[in-house]
Amino acid sequence: MLKVKDLNVFYGRIHALKDVSIEVDEGEIVTIVGANGAGKSTLMWTLAGVLKGKSGSIIYRDKPHPTVAHEAAAGGIVLVPERRRLYANLTVRENLMMGAFLRKDIEAIKKDLEYIYSLFPILKERTTQYAGTLSGGEQQMAAIARGLMSRPKILLLDEPSLGLSPIYTAEVFNTILEINAQNTTILLAEQNAKKALEIADRAYVLETGRVVLSGSGKDLLQDPAVQEAYLGVRHKAI
Amino acid sequence: MFLQTLVTGLSIGGIYALMAVGYSLVFSILNFSNFAHGTIIMLGAYIGYFIISSFNLSFPLSLIGAVLGAALLALLNVELAYSPLINRRSPSLYLMITAMGVSIFLENMVYVTLGSHFYAFPEIFKQSNLKFFGSDISPLDLSALVFSLVSIYALHLFLIKTKLGTAIRAASYDMTTASLNGVNMTRLIGIVFLLAGAFGGLAGVFLGIKYMVYPTMGWITNKAYIAAVIGGLGSLPGAVIGGLILGLLETFVSVYISSTIRDVFSFSMVIIFLVILPAGLMGRHLEEKV
Ligand SMILES: Nc1ncnc2c1ncn2[C@@H]1O[C@H](COP(=O)(O)OP(=O)(O)OP(=O)(O)O)[C@@H](O)[C@H]1O
Ligand SMILES: [Mg+2]
Repeated sequence: MLKVKDLNVFYGRIHALKDVSIEVDEGEIVTIVGANGAGKSTLMWTLAGVLKGKSGSIIYRDKPHPTVAHEAAAGGIVLVPERRRLYANLTVRENLMMGAFLRKDIEAIKKDLEYIYSLFPILKERTTQYAGTLSGGEQQMAAIARGLMSRPKILLLDEPSLGLSPIYTAEVFNTILEINAQNTTILLAEQNAKKALEIADRAYVLETGRVVLSGSGKDLLQDPAVQEAYLGVRHKAI
Repeated sequence: MFLQTLVTGLSIGGIYALMAVGYSLVFSILNFSNFAHGTIIMLGAYIGYFIISSFNLSFPLSLIGAVLGAALLALLNVELAYSPLINRRSPSLYLMITAMGVSIFLENMVYVTLGSHFYAFPEIFKQSNLKFFGSDISPLDLSALVFSLVSIYALHLFLIKTKLGTAIRAASYDMTTASLNGVNMTRLIGIVFLLAGAFGGLAGVFLGIKYMVYPTMGWITNKAYIAAVIGGLGSLPGAVIGGLILGLLETFVSVYISSTIRDVFSFSMVIIFLVILPAGLMGRHLEEKV
């Protein structure tokens, strides 16, 4: 569904992504793990059409990937950005409706809103409250919910568990599985590597802008290097 | 006397508010003070004046012409002068300086082509004043007030009730996220300038009727800018409240104290506000910016 080949992205002279190649197939959950500054968010923003690659190619559904954000959104690529980025000056409901900005199917939008309220009952209670007044966990749910309102073909989630308590984190990961079960392809960037690898069909490890490892989620969970770097498992020096 | 001063003050305030709305709309999205807005208002006044005096058309048509004309000019302004900067993500200071350049350019274009004449609108509102509790109230003042309040309220409804209005408010908070939601920012900015221009055209006609039409009339918008600062730049209710407060204070100061001190008074207000309440009356951060 999404094929990234030899992608290079720069911030001025900072080379943030170096020859990155990844693939996401329809219906999969693909996870990107990596430490702070590895380039996860850069990859996400590039896929969402906000940043532009200097070289390399991105093929989305057998066509060149749209390089403008609103066109990427129209094509079904929907990013739930790091740190949520809700519109603090809009109500929760208005935030959710912004997710449906490009849609014209009013009846289906209503149904989706109901579905989202069943997924996140707390948002229903907060529907007329300004998004800026939500707690961090509630904001994360609202951000995911806003992404879902776009009816994504592929949902890009950038550190959805950032700053969440274990209970909220578990809830967010359950939601991701549920969304995926409804036929939405998911690309997930996480530092919370254990959970993220457990639910992944496939995964990539990003280190200072390069893909250094890839494989199935299970394989990477077993990989000693991954365990040491991201799962806090100590291996005795050989 | 008091009632008359009140209505005059409110109507001037209403015109200030109409002008301030244009500043606020643009500020809320692009975070810069669009000093070319005053020139757009001036051009709107000229359009309205020429429609009514040269083509002998009715006042409503002249008003519509001025609104449409100023809206299109504002759109041209953003497409030709600001878009290249916006696309390069230039700092808003550059936009502000460009706006000043646009304003000087357009003003001088008017000098060169139309000259520095003062044009007076033909008599539209009958001189005969309405009697109201023994006070004389001018129909011009009354209709300026009604027009401004009704049109600003309509804008308010547009912003809170419609999808496009919600997108404008969303983008005023975070443009990048709005584009993730599928908002074509270039188009949205164009729409915001169309709206700002339309309000400028409306303000220009009333301003022209009240004070005549001339190339530097755009500088009266300094007052609207003060109004926007008092109310909180970028806040729509702020623009209205700031405009009304300023109009009332000015009128009462010039009637009851002295008209020469009036401008000293309004400019001191802005300094006081910038020092004590830099965000204005309504410019709180969690508040809506438009
Ligand atoms: N706007 C920017 N300007 C310059 N450099 C940037 C910018 N954003 C990110 N970088 C740099 O690019 C590199 C990758 O950053 P990125 O945000 O993609 O990392 P990340 O993997 O998402 O990290 P984190 O887990 O902390 O979110 C970092 O070295 C960072 O300093
Ligand atoms: Mg990141």
